[in-house]
Amino acid sequence: MNVIQESMKEIQASEELKAHTLQYLKTQKSYPRPYRMWRYAAVAVCLLLFLAAGGYRFYSRPVSYISIDVNPSIELGVNRFGRVVSADAYNTDGQNILDHVKLRNLAYVQAIDKLMKSEDYAVFLTEDSHLVFTVISDNSDVILKEINADALAQKYQVTTYTSDLACRQEAHQHGMSFGKYRACQELTQYDESVTIEDCHGMTMGEICDNIRSCQRYRHGRKKQDDAENNDSGQGDGQCGGNAGHHGRHHRNRHGGGY
Amino acid sequence: MKSDEDLSRVMESYADMVRRICFVHLKNRQDTEDIFQNVYLKYLLYEKAFASCEHEKAWFARVTINACKDQMRYFSRRKWVPLDAAEVEGESKESASSEVLETVLKLPEKYRNVIYLYYYEEYSAVEIAKILGRKENTIYTWLMRAKELLRKKLGGEWA
Repeated sequence: MNVIQESMKEIQASEELKAHTLQYLKTQKSYPRPYRMWRYAAVAVCLLLFLAAGGYRFYSRPVSYISIDVNPSIELGVNRFGRVVSADAYNTDGQNILDHVKLRNLAYVQAIDKLMKSEDYAVFLTEDSHLVFTVISDNSDVILKEINADALAQKYQVTTYTSDLACRQEAHQHGMSFGKYRACQELTQYDESVTIEDCHGMTMGEICDNIRSCQRYRHGRKKQDDAENNDSGQGDGQCGGNAGHHGRHHRNRHGGGY
Repeated sequence: MKSDEDLSRVMESYADMVRRICFVHLKNRQDTEDIFQNVYLKYLLYEKAFASCEHEKAWFARVTINACKDQMRYFSRRKWVPLDAAEVEGESKESASSEVLETVLKLPEKYRNVIYLYYYEEYSAVEIAKILGRKENTIYTWLMRAKELLRKKLGGEWA
């Protein structure tokens, strides 16, 4: 034993100190530790944030789309709860309206009502205008039924169509709503001289009028061809293209239509 | 959290060492008791496993030294001293009968640590460096200077 050890050999923890300390530790063991509480709180907060983020993503993810076209072209994204989670304009008129009319988080029927009742939108709803609703959804029947049952939709004699996501993607590549793009595709099938770019400058009313003209022209030609028992199918003239609806689109006429 | 058996075991194994380190640093019994309890509380809450008994012992030494330093820092910052503590300070210096012990206690804190760990606990300079978180050369220097101070005051085997 060296001198330091010798000098300190009497310095020991007393039994009393040990007993006190053990007693103190026993009481401390039974308390929830603050740092543990913080850890649990942090885990709970993280979990809540995770659930909130997941819930928000779930809520804000659109599963259906409704394109509303007169001249303003507006697309609504609708979540699985039937709420509007996105509203996008595809022309200046549409953007001006959306700047003033907030549609997000409304039920889509309410949103459509609010849109059509708004002053900014009402100026486009004339007797000559063509209000077209195009829907992309797994439940398009339900959505179309609700739209058609709407009093304002009946008043303005809307025409409804269904479409698909591929068409929507193509439409956006051309900077158009998929409702207008569908109509443009229909027109280009009747009249090959019309391009999608030409349709950019047209209102839905103009596009629909052109389609109607082409349909009439084609109907007249067919009658004439039948009468002359001539060879059919070789169209010429302005509207001599391949008529009929695009395979991906289905038309549901309501009211007057065009 | 540690079991009662663990607590009893470490109490028997390291209580004297913890007490002595407190004695080397602190001047009154109340502070010693506080630090003693805090060290064992830290052990109670320490969740990592120790690689060996040596590792566990070194952990106790390091934690006790750090707790004592914190306590002394707290006192040095404080502008006032509690009346009861002031009263105890004068009388509570443990019966350090031996001249050697008194001389060691008068050394600067860093030298007290190395002298205690080197001579009493018989740690090597390398191990002391790890416990105190210093470079080995620093420990060698402190040991040399501490011995020099002891030699001047005690002579004898230090000379």
